[in-house]
Amino acid sequence: MILKESIESVRNSFRADSDPFPTDDQSVESLRVKYLGRKGLVAGLFAGMKDIDGKDRPMAGQLLNELKQELTLAFESNSPGEKGKTEVNDVDYTLPGLAFPIGHVHPLQQTMDEIKSIFMDVGFSVAYGPEVDDDFHNFSALNFPPEHPARDMQDTFFIDPETVLRTHTSNVQIHLMEEQEPPLRHIVPGRVYRNEAISFKSYCLFHQVEGIYVDKHVSFADQKGILEYFVKRMFGPNTKMRFRPSFFPFTEPSAEVDIWSEQRGQWLEILGCGMVDPEVFKSVNVDPDIWHGFAFGMGLERICMLKYGIDDIRLLYQGDMRFLEQF
Amino acid sequence: MKISIDWLKSFISLEGSTQDIADQLTMLGLEAELNVVTSKLGDIIIGEVTSRKKHPNADRLSLCEVYDGNETYPVVCGAPNVDKGQKIAFAPVGAVLPGDFKISKAKIRGEVSQGMICSERELGISEEHDGIMVLNDVAKPGQSFTKYIDSHLDQIELDITPNRPDCFSHLGVARDLAIQLETPLEIPDYSPRSFKSNEAESFVSISIEDKNDCPRYIAGVVKNVKVGDSPNWLKSRLESVGQRSINNIVDISNFVLMEMGHPTHMFDYDQLGSKEILIRRGKKGEKITTLDEVERNVSSNELLITNGKDPVAIAGIMGGLESAVTDSTTTVLIESAYFDPPTVRKGAKALGMSTDASKRFERGADPNGAEKAFWRTVGLLEEVAGGEWVPGIVDPYPKQITQNEITLTREKLDILSGCDISDDFIIRALKGIGCDVNGKSKSWQCTPPSWRPDIEREVDLIEEVIRLFGYENVPSKYHYEGIMNGDQPDPHKGLSKILSIISGLGFTQVFNNSLQSEEKISILDFESVKMMNPLSDTMSQLRTSLFPGLMENVDFNIKNGHPNLMLFEWGNVFEQAESGLKGIREKFQLAGIVHGQFTKASVHREQDQPADYHVLKGAIDGLFSRMNVDKASYELVDENPYGLGNCSAIVVDKTPIGYIGMISPRFASTMQLDTDLCYGFQFDLNALIAIADKQPSYAGIVNYPVVERDLNFVMDESIRVGDVMDTISKNGRGILIQSEPINIFRHKSVGEGQKAIAINLVFQSASKTLEDKDVNSVIDGIIKVVSNKFGAKLR
Repeated sequence: MILKESIESVRNSFRADSDPFPTDDQSVESLRVKYLGRKGLVAGLFAGMKDIDGKDRPMAGQLLNELKQELTLAFESNSPGEKGKTEVNDVDYTLPGLAFPIGHVHPLQQTMDEIKSIFMDVGFSVAYGPEVDDDFHNFSALNFPPEHPARDMQDTFFIDPETVLRTHTSNVQIHLMEEQEPPLRHIVPGRVYRNEAISFKSYCLFHQVEGIYVDKHVSFADQKGILEYFVKRMFGPNTKMRFRPSFFPFTEPSAEVDIWSEQRGQWLEILGCGMVDPEVFKSVNVDPDIWHGFAFGMGLERICMLKYGIDDIRLLYQGDMRFLEQF
Repeated sequence: MKISIDWLKSFISLEGSTQDIADQLTMLGLEAELNVVTSKLGDIIIGEVTSRKKHPNADRLSLCEVYDGNETYPVVCGAPNVDKGQKIAFAPVGAVLPGDFKISKAKIRGEVSQGMICSERELGISEEHDGIMVLNDVAKPGQSFTKYIDSHLDQIELDITPNRPDCFSHLGVARDLAIQLETPLEIPDYSPRSFKSNEAESFVSISIEDKNDCPRYIAGVVKNVKVGDSPNWLKSRLESVGQRSINNIVDISNFVLMEMGHPTHMFDYDQLGSKEILIRRGKKGEKITTLDEVERNVSSNELLITNGKDPVAIAGIMGGLESAVTDSTTTVLIESAYFDPPTVRKGAKALGMSTDASKRFERGADPNGAEKAFWRTVGLLEEVAGGEWVPGIVDPYPKQITQNEITLTREKLDILSGCDISDDFIIRALKGIGCDVNGKSKSWQCTPPSWRPDIEREVDLIEEVIRLFGYENVPSKYHYEGIMNGDQPDPHKGLSKILSIISGLGFTQVFNNSLQSEEKISILDFESVKMMNPLSDTMSQLRTSLFPGLMENVDFNIKNGHPNLMLFEWGNVFEQAESGLKGIREKFQLAGIVHGQFTKASVHREQDQPADYHVLKGAIDGLFSRMNVDKASYELVDENPYGLGNCSAIVVDKTPIGYIGMISPRFASTMQLDTDLCYGFQFDLNALIAIADKQPSYAGIVNYPVVERDLNFVMDESIRVGDVMDTISKNGRGILIQSEPINIFRHKSVGEGQKAIAINLVFQSASKTLEDKDVNSVIDGIIKVVSNKFGAKLR
C-alpha cells in the first residue's frame, strides 16, 4: 500500500524536524504549518485517501489518524511556556493532600512507654540487663533449686548447661542487688525467651516488665496500693481487679492480679507479684531480717493485646504494614 | 487436675453453685475453672413439655407444647427422647445460643415453631447431641437455666501450683475449703490395723540400697482377690474426674490417689518372681517394659523396684507390665512408698515421662500419707474385691522425714502484711492447715503437717496466714519513702526521643524475632550464639544483625501490596566473640531500611521520588538536626559488618557511631526475597543515646541582610561534590553561613567526562551589612581554592 509508505515517511520526517523540538514560537508555528496546516503534509495524505482501494480504506484511515494524533500530541506537550495551558482560576480544595511519609510507633513500644511512665510517676527508676545470662541469675538466685518442679513452669532455651536465654527479666533484680545496697525501686523492661511452640497465643519470645521495691518497711499492703494504682492508670479508673494467691519461687507470699473483662465475662490475668522471698535476699547478701520488698512481673504483649484487642500474638512480630499503620 | 464437687461434698458440706465454689478455690490460690461456660446462657429458661405428638408431615419430628411458667408455645423438636412431662432447657424466640445462633419464629414442614428445646451440645455443656437435655425435678418452669445448671455442674479443673502437692487430691482441696468456710472436715478411716504376728514378712522382704532415694517403703499382701468390674459407686467416682474404669484392683489404686493424694502400686504377687524386693538405681543396659507396653532403657538416672534381680517397676513413675494385675491375679502386693522428689523428677525427665504418680512424688508426697494410703487400700481390696488381708505390714523407714518447729513472730507478720490480723485468726488458720501451734500473742511455735513440705520457714507460715486471711482483706496503702536511686531514672531516656524523631521522619517501627536460622546467620561473618535445644532449625541461633529481619519485613510487605517502605527496629544483636558466657557480646542497635518510592507521583508532584541512599541520608541529617548534633560527618567506607555495602560511616566526635549504605544483596539472594535494592542505616544505640540528650545552646539571631551568590564550576566527573562543598565551607572566612549544590548539568557542551555544578552561597555577617567587596573577596578565594584543588573552572 503506497499510502502506508507515505505515512511512514511523513512520520520520519517530522521526527527528524522536531529533534530537538524548536523553542521559539516562530519555528514552532512554521513546523506546525508544514505538517498540520491546512495545506500541510498530513492534509495532503488525507487528500490521497480517495485514490485508495475501498477495501484498504479503513486500515489507511486508521494509520493516518494515528499519525495525526502523534503529531498533535507532540505539539501539545512541547508548547513553550505557559502559552498552551489554560488558566486556573480556583484552587480545588477537594483534591487530596500531599502525601507525607507517616511513621508508626509499634503498639508494643507504646504500651511499654505507657507502663514506664506510670511507674516513673510513682518513683520507680528503670534498669536493663542481659538477655543471655547464667543459671545463677536466671534461676538459682531466684530460689529455683536444681531439680525443682518450679523449673518446669518456664521452658528454657539453653546455650550451654549453665547459660540460658533469660526466661524473665527477674535476672536483673539479682544484678541490681549485687551492684547496689537497698533501698531500691526499679522496673525492668526487656525481651525474654520461652521454648514454646509458636501459635496465636504464644511466641518463642516476649517482653516483660518486672518491678522490684525493697526498703525496710515495704509490705503486702504497699504492693496492693502500687499495683492498684498501675491497673487503674493503665486500664481505667473503674477497672475491677483482684489479687489472688499463687506461687512463684522468688516471692512469698505470691499473688496474681486479674482484671475483669465485661466484654468476655471473665477474669483475665495480667500480672504476677509477691513479697521478695528471703532466699532471694540471701543469695545476694541482703539481710532479710532488715529488708523487705515486693516484686512483680507482667507480659507486655498480653497487656498490649488486651488494650488494643489484638487476637494473635504473631502479628506483633510480622512487620505487616496493614497491622502497624493502625497504630 | 479434675475435681468433682460431689466427691468434695463427701468430706465437707458445701453450699452455693459450682461457680461459687470455683471462685472460692481460686481465691485460696487453687486456680479453678469450670469446663463449661454458662455465662452465655442467660437467655435460656426452664420449660416443661406439656404435650407431644407426631409431626403430621415428618416422621422424625415431634410437635410439642412447651410451658415456660407463663405461656405455652408450639415447638417442633427433632430429638428422639423428647416426651411429655419433661423439664427441659428452652430457648425462646429471640434467645441467642453459644455460637451466636439466634432463635427466631419458624415454620417447619408447615407447622409453626416458637423456640427450641436444647441438647447439651447446643448449650455448649458437652458434646452430647443424641437427644435433648432432660433436667431433673428440681427444675421449675420459668426459672433461669443458668442457675439450675450452675448447681448441677459437678466438675472443676484445678491448676495446682508446684508448691501444693497436698492439693492433688479431693481431701487436700476439701481441707483448704474447710478452713475458709469454717466447717468441719470429715476424714475417711485411715487408721492402722493391729495384728498378732506379722505374717506379711513371710511373703516379702524389702531392702533399700540408698535410703536417700527411698526413705520409706511400705508393702503388704492381700490374697484371694477376685479381679472384675468395679461396683458402680467406684466407677462413677472415677468417671466424675474423667478416669476410665479398668478393673476393681486398678480402680482402687486410682481412687485412693484421687481421694487422699498418695500414689500406690499394685503388683500381681505371683508374677514378681521372688519374695525379695530390692530398691536400687538402674544399671546401664537394663530394660523394662512398663504398663503402657513400651520397652524402656533405664540407667542410673532411674530408681527401680526390682525382685532382687530384674526391675518390676520404675519407682514413683510407672509399674512394669509383667507384674501388673490381670484377670487371673489372686494375690496382690500393695506398694505405698515415699520416694525422694529430685530422684523421681530426674528419672521422669530422663525418660520423658510424666504420670499422675510422678507428678505427686516430684513435688513431695506425704511420708505419713504412705501409711494411710496403705490401710485405705487394704480396706477397699476387702470391700470391693473380696480379698483377705495377710496380717502384718512391711515398713522399712530408714530415713525419717520430719517437720521442724518454726517460730512465727507478730513483728514479722505485721511488717510483711502491712495490716492487723488478730491472734485468734492466726491460730485458727495455722491449726486449720494442720499445724501444731503453741505460744501466745507475740510469737508462736508451729510444727507443720507432713503433707505440707512447702512450709519450712517463718515466711511460709506468714504466706498461709495472709492467704487464708484473704488478699482482698488486706488494705491498700499508698505511701512511699522518699526519692531513691541515681541521677538518671531511665538510662534509655534518649531512646524515646530518637524513636519520636525517627517515626516523625516517616519510619514505622517493627519488632522481629531474635531467633534465626543458621542460613540467615551465615550471610554475615559473625560467630553466632547457638542454642543447645532450639525450637526448630529455623530458630537455632541469635541474630547477629537487625537487617535480616528488616529485609524479611520488606519482602512480606511487597507480597502484601505495600512495596514502599521505611522501617526501623531497635534491639539487641549477639556475637559469640570468645567462648563461654563472658565471650557473648550483646550489642544494642538501631537499624532502618527504605525500599520502593519515598513519595509517589500525584496530582501535586510530577515524578516519583525513589527511596534511595540520599533520602536515607536526609533522614539521618534530620535526626541529627533534631538531636542538636551538628558535627556529624559521613566518611566513605566499603562496607560494614552488619550487612551494608557502598556505605559511609557516620562519625560524631571522631568516632563512627553508625553506618548508612546499600543493604548487601546477599540477604535477598540467600533468603530468596522479592526485594529491589534496599538502603539502610545502622547505629550503635548506646552511642546514639549518649548524644541524644544534648541540649541546644541558643545563638543570637542575626538581623543583617544576607547576600546570595551562585557559582557554576565545571570539573572532572570523578570529583566528589561533598569534597568540593567541604572545601568551600572551610574557606568561608566567617561570613559564608550556608552553601549547597543546586544543580548538576551534564551535556556535550560541558565536555565529555565533565560536569557543571551550580552552587548557591549565602553570606551574612554578625556585625555589619555586607558590601560587595566583602563578599567578592571571599568568592575569589573560594574560586581559587576550588580551581587549584579540583582542577575546576568557572563556567
